[in-house]
Amino acid sequence: MSETRYKLHWITAVIQVLKTVKEMILPLLVIVFANGLNSSSSGVWYLDYLSFIIFGAFIIVFAITGIIKWKRFEYWFEDDELRIEYGLFVKKKRYIPFDRIQSLDYTEGILHRPLKLVKVKVETAGSSSLKKSEAELTAITKEAAQIIEHEIAAAKMTKKAVSLEEGTVVEGIEAEEQSQVKSIFTMSVKDLLILATTSGGIGIILSGAGIFLSQFAEMIPFEWMYEEVSGFIKFGLLFVAIAVFFGFFVVWLLSVGMTFLSYYGFSVSLDQQDIVITRGLLEKKRMTVPLNRVQSIRVIENPFRQIFGYAAVAIDSAGGGGAEGAKINLFPLVRKKDINGPLKEIFPDLILVEPTRKLPARSRRFYYRIDFLWMVPAIGAMAYFFFPYGLLSLLIVPVIIFYGLWQHRSGAYELSGNQLTLRFRGFSLQTAFLMRKRIQSMEVKQNYFHKRRQVASVTAAIKSGIGTFRAQVLHMEEAEAERILSWYEPKTEKKGRQE
Amino acid sequence: MRAQPVNQISEKGLRVWRLYGIMQTIVILLLAIGSGVLVYIFEWPGWLYAIAAVVVVFFAYFLIYLFPKVRWTRWRYEVRESEIELQHGIFIVKRTLIPMVRVQHVDTSQGPILRKYDLAEITISTAATNHTIPALLTEEADGLRGRISVLARVAEDDV
Repeated sequence: MSETRYKLHWITAVIQVLKTVKEMILPLLVIVFANGLNSSSSGVWYLDYLSFIIFGAFIIVFAITGIIKWKRFEYWFEDDELRIEYGLFVKKKRYIPFDRIQSLDYTEGILHRPLKLVKVKVETAGSSSLKKSEAELTAITKEAAQIIEHEIAAAKMTKKAVSLEEGTVVEGIEAEEQSQVKSIFTMSVKDLLILATTSGGIGIILSGAGIFLSQFAEMIPFEWMYEEVSGFIKFGLLFVAIAVFFGFFVVWLLSVGMTFLSYYGFSVSLDQQDIVITRGLLEKKRMTVPLNRVQSIRVIENPFRQIFGYAAVAIDSAGGGGAEGAKINLFPLVRKKDINGPLKEIFPDLILVEPTRKLPARSRRFYYRIDFLWMVPAIGAMAYFFFPYGLLSLLIVPVIIFYGLWQHRSGAYELSGNQLTLRFRGFSLQTAFLMRKRIQSMEVKQNYFHKRRQVASVTAAIKSGIGTFRAQVLHMEEAEAERILSWYEPKTEKKGRQE
Repeated sequence: MRAQPVNQISEKGLRVWRLYGIMQTIVILLLAIGSGVLVYIFEWPGWLYAIAAVVVVFFAYFLIYLFPKVRWTRWRYEVRESEIELQHGIFIVKRTLIPMVRVQHVDTSQGPILRKYDLAEITISTAATNHTIPALLTEEADGLRGRISVLARVAEDDV
C-alpha cells in the first residue's frame, strides 16, 4: 500500500525556535550583559555591538534549524505502525507498532489555540527514556489527530476481528460501535478556587524564585543593594515585615493564578476502557489513561482541606510520562462524601470501604520513640549554647509525641477479597486501594524492639510510571502483618501446601 | 509465625564481607593515623591518641566481626514454585515476598572480589522493585537464574 506522508503544521518551526530560545535565554543574557555593561566605547562599531551581533546570529541559526527540523519531520502509517522520520543532520526513523501505543495525549498551547492545532504525545507501555514520551508531534491539526486515532482504532479492530474469527466478531464490533464518552467528574469554579487557594504550589514557586535569583546573583550589584537595605532598615522593622509579607502574598497570588489556569475546566470522562482527563485554560491538556494500566487508587486528605470536608483522589499509572506521569490527579479536589459515586463508576470492582482494622495500642510508642534519637542531642545542644531561651526547644517534645500519636491513630488497613486497603499518614492522610495483582512485591519489616512487642511494618510496592510507590503501614500487629503477607502469597502455592 | 526461608547464602559470602570490613577498617585506620599525625604536629592533648585507637578498634569489631556475622545468619532465601521469599537485615529484619508472576528479569553479576571467591550476586527485578541476593556460588546463582526465569515464564496470573 502506498502511504500518504504527513507533515506537521508550520507553526512547529516557530515553537521549536521559541523553545530553544527559552532554553538558551540565560547564557545569552549573560553574554549580552557581560558585553553591554562595560560602557567604554572602543571606537570600532562591531566591537561595541558584538553582543547584539552574537545574539542575532544565534536567533538566525535557531530559526534556520527550526525550519529544517520542521521540513524534515514526517510521519505516516504503514504495516500497523506509526512511522516517524526526523532529524537535523542525521536522519532518524522511529517505528511504533499500534499495539504498543497506549494513549495519545493532547496539549493545546497558546500558539495552538487560534489555529485549531494540538500537540500529540504518543505514550507507550515502557517508554525508554525518563522524561520524553516515545514520540511527540509538536503541532498538527485536530483533523490530523483524529486520523491517527482512527488509524490506530481501525488497526486494532481488524486485529481483534482476526483473532476472534469464530462468531464473536459481531459482538466485538458492536461493543466498539457503542463507543460513547461518559462524563464522570467535573470541577466547579468554587472547588477550583478552593483548590487554587489551598494548593501547596507556594513552596515550588519560592524555590523557583530562589534558583532564578541565584542565577543572577553575580550580576546583582550587591554594594549598592546593601546601602539600600540599610536605608530600608531605618524605615523600621515593621516596614520590612510588611514588605516580606507582601512578597509572600504576591507569590501566593501567583501560585493561585497558576493553579487556576492549569486546572480550569478540569473534567474526567470514561471512554470505553480509557480514562480521559482534560484541563487547562490557556494550555489545554488532554490525557488518556487506559484502565488496565491503573496500578493503585489513592485518596489523599490534606488536613487543611479535611477541615472543609475535601479530599483528593490520585491514581498511579504504569505507562508513560516518567516521574510526572507517575501520580495522576484524578479528582484534584472533591467533597469527601462525593468520592464514592464517580470512583465506583470508573472502577466497578473497587471495594470502597473505610479500613476499620486499627493498630494496637502497644505500637503507639514506636511512632515517636525513634525521634528522641535526634531530639535529645538537638535539645541538649540548644539548651547548652543558648542557655535560657534554648530551653524553649523542649516544647518540641510534646509536638513530636502528638504528631506520632496522630499518625498512630490514623493508621488502618483492611483485607477484602483481592484488595488490600492501607491507610497511613505522613502529613496528609492517604488511603491506598491496592489490587493483589498490582502489587509488585511485599515486605514485612521488624527490628529487635518490634519483635519484642510483636509488631511489624508492612510495605507494598506498586509500579508508578517508571518508578515505585510504596504504601506502608508502620508498626501493626505482627500476626496481622503475617496474615497480609500470606494473603499476598500466590494461591497455587497455598493450595499445594494444604494438600 | 511464618517459617523462615530455608536456604542460606554461601559461607564464602561471610569471608567476602569480612574482607570488605577489613578494607573499610583500613580506611578508618588511615584516617586515625592522619589525625594522630596532626595531634603530634600541633601538640594537642595526648588522650586524643587513645580516642583514635578506641574508634579504630570499635569499627574493626563491628565491621569485621559482628555485622558480617549477623548479616550472614540473617540472610535467607527460598525460591518456590510460585514465589520467592527473602529475609535479610542487621537491625531491621526485612522479609520480602515476590510472586513469580511479577518477576520481569533476573540478572547475575560478579565483581573482581566475588569472582576470586567464585561467587556471584543475583538480582531479581519486578516492574517496580529490585531485589539482590548478595553472595551465592557462581554455579548456584546461574542455576537459580535459570530456574527463576523458567518458573516466571510458567507462572500464570491467577487474579
